[in-house]
Amino acid sequence: MNPVVELTRVSKTFGDIRAVSEASLSVARGDFLTVVGPSGCGKTTLLRMIAGFETPSSGEIRINGDRVDVVPPYRRSIGMVFQKLALFPHMTAAQNIAYPLKMRRFAPRVIPGLVKQYLELVQLGGLGDRRPHELSGGQQQRVAIARALVFSPDLLLLDEPLSALDRKLREEMQLEFRRIQRELAVTTINVTHDQREALVMSDQIVVMDQGVIQQAATPQALYRQPANRFVAHFLGVTTLLDGRVVRVGDDGDVAVQVGDTVLQARGVGQALVTGAPVDCAIRAERIGMAAHGQPGLDNTVDGVVLQRIFEGDRVVYVVRVPALGDAVLSLFDRDADVHETTTEGQSVRLAWQARDLMVFAKQT
Amino acid sequence: MPLTWRFLDTIEALVAALWPARWRGATGWAFLMPALLLVGVLVIGLGYMLEYSLHELNLATYRLRDEYALTNYATFLNRPVYGTVLWRTVLGSVLVTGITLLLAFPYAYVLVRTRVPWVRKALLVTLFLPFFIGQVVRAYGWLIVLGREGLVNSLLTGLGLPAQDLLFHFPAVIFGLVQYMLPFAILLIVPAITAIPEDMERASESLGAPWPATFRHVVLPMAWPGLIGAGVVVFTLTMTDFAMPEILGGGTTDFFASAIYDSFFQISNPGLGAALSMVLVTLGSLIVAAVFALAGPGTLGIRGART
Repeated sequence: MNPVVELTRVSKTFGDIRAVSEASLSVARGDFLTVVGPSGCGKTTLLRMIAGFETPSSGEIRINGDRVDVVPPYRRSIGMVFQKLALFPHMTAAQNIAYPLKMRRFAPRVIPGLVKQYLELVQLGGLGDRRPHELSGGQQQRVAIARALVFSPDLLLLDEPLSALDRKLREEMQLEFRRIQRELAVTTINVTHDQREALVMSDQIVVMDQGVIQQAATPQALYRQPANRFVAHFLGVTTLLDGRVVRVGDDGDVAVQVGDTVLQARGVGQALVTGAPVDCAIRAERIGMAAHGQPGLDNTVDGVVLQRIFEGDRVVYVVRVPALGDAVLSLFDRDADVHETTTEGQSVRLAWQARDLMVFAKQT
Repeated sequence: MPLTWRFLDTIEALVAALWPARWRGATGWAFLMPALLLVGVLVIGLGYMLEYSLHELNLATYRLRDEYALTNYATFLNRPVYGTVLWRTVLGSVLVTGITLLLAFPYAYVLVRTRVPWVRKALLVTLFLPFFIGQVVRAYGWLIVLGREGLVNSLLTGLGLPAQDLLFHFPAVIFGLVQYMLPFAILLIVPAITAIPEDMERASESLGAPWPATFRHVVLPMAWPGLIGAGVVVFTLTMTDFAMPEILGGGTTDFFASAIYDSFFQISNPGLGAALSMVLVTLGSLIVAAVFALAGPGTLGIRGART
């Protein structure tokens, strides 16, 4: 099936600054793709080029196979939800939703029905006469998404619309956006700096940093098989270690030296050569505290608890490990018994499986 | 403790000693007093004006008679020249307001929206420069530029075209007034446009509206309170303007303020001058009140209901 959106080596420069560099991606019909990265990584510029507010410096953008690089926004079939929503304050919710229908010359007799249908889709039946400032934050979000979808666009763009909401409402709206998106099967590109939002909402995730796409994959693949140090560090709570390859085995098995210790690990991505400097990454939930006995793990080190952070459902321990060149590791523990007994300053034994220590060739 | 902290602490202690906390509710009113006094003085002046206007001039003594009479208002109604001048003033004010807003809006829009720093700087300098040149000086400047032997006419004759009478008629006065009012209007419209997030226009575009439709349905309605405010200021300033009609009109196209001036200082009839002033103040107030009533209480964005 042909992708709805296809970017081929798209770049955008502002003066000397390269905001987006040779970005290529494609989104299949009905998919939800999230572009995620730290602020200033180029994700918003990428979205603006797809929407038509910026023109690429080079490369091409195709929507349903047609090049749109120079097509103005009002001729593109794209619904967009803006970061600050940009609801028209002088119009009611219903007038806001009717606006794209009027501008796109829908027959006047079908407009009231469509407005009503979409108000109900976003669960705002009966609130159509309210002005935006008379609606709550969550209700405004719903109006904005109804307005962006009511004219059945080929593509929906979300420019961090949830970032201003408090956490509980944000998580509720994430699921709500996803429900509506699935119900209408509308192809969607979402932009966010929130890794959790990306993992929760997406079929596909694109990780960007410094204008370059670092990796594009499903949420699971991205989390389990990060392509490089940046992606590994950006998602989840991850400790990064500097090491050196001492032995390369079969099936990605490698041994790396970190500090004075040789650890069993798993090579990811590019082929590794003996003696090469590498980045090692391990996720906090993969490290076990051997204090309560976890036999048969491939790597075992001793450390001292520096910090113990109680987060309710879990406790985060920050542990200094002298044998790994005084590296500081973060790990979670959900075992209430250990919570009670482990204190700051205490010596603990940490252990993990070889496959949980990911090794990447150093990026130049 | 850093020196600045100690300094600020001392000031706070002094303020606390001079203005105890229980007076704090009155602080706002205390700051409001000078403004209230100023308005009060104006109201008293207006009262005196009303009082003057109700006494007829005694032509034997050239003093106002003691008894009350409506003679001055009768004079205003009976002499067609006052009606003509008042009509010319109102018409001129409406024209000047309309043309000024039409010219000021695009200027303000570009000033706010341009991404090119030097364009913004140039527009800002051009905006403030006229404020350094008083109205009378500027009017004389136009005399030099537009006069019979002026710059424009020497250009025209240089091109072999006949010289034109560019001065001393109604269009010349309107031109001078528009030129004078433009910076005021721009300054009042700029905040209204700044208050419209650019994403509003982008949203409108992405929803299918080309720029003219976006302007009509989004930019204009959202800038409306600022436009009304600017219009009211330009209208009232023009209604009461004296110098431009006097100098560029050359006595042929007096505005009402000239008539008031003449009553006071040419024919030395303060009663008539006061009556004419009352007419102008009343008419102006009625028009402004009508505009605000039509435009709604949200005008000037004071209510802040628009988010």
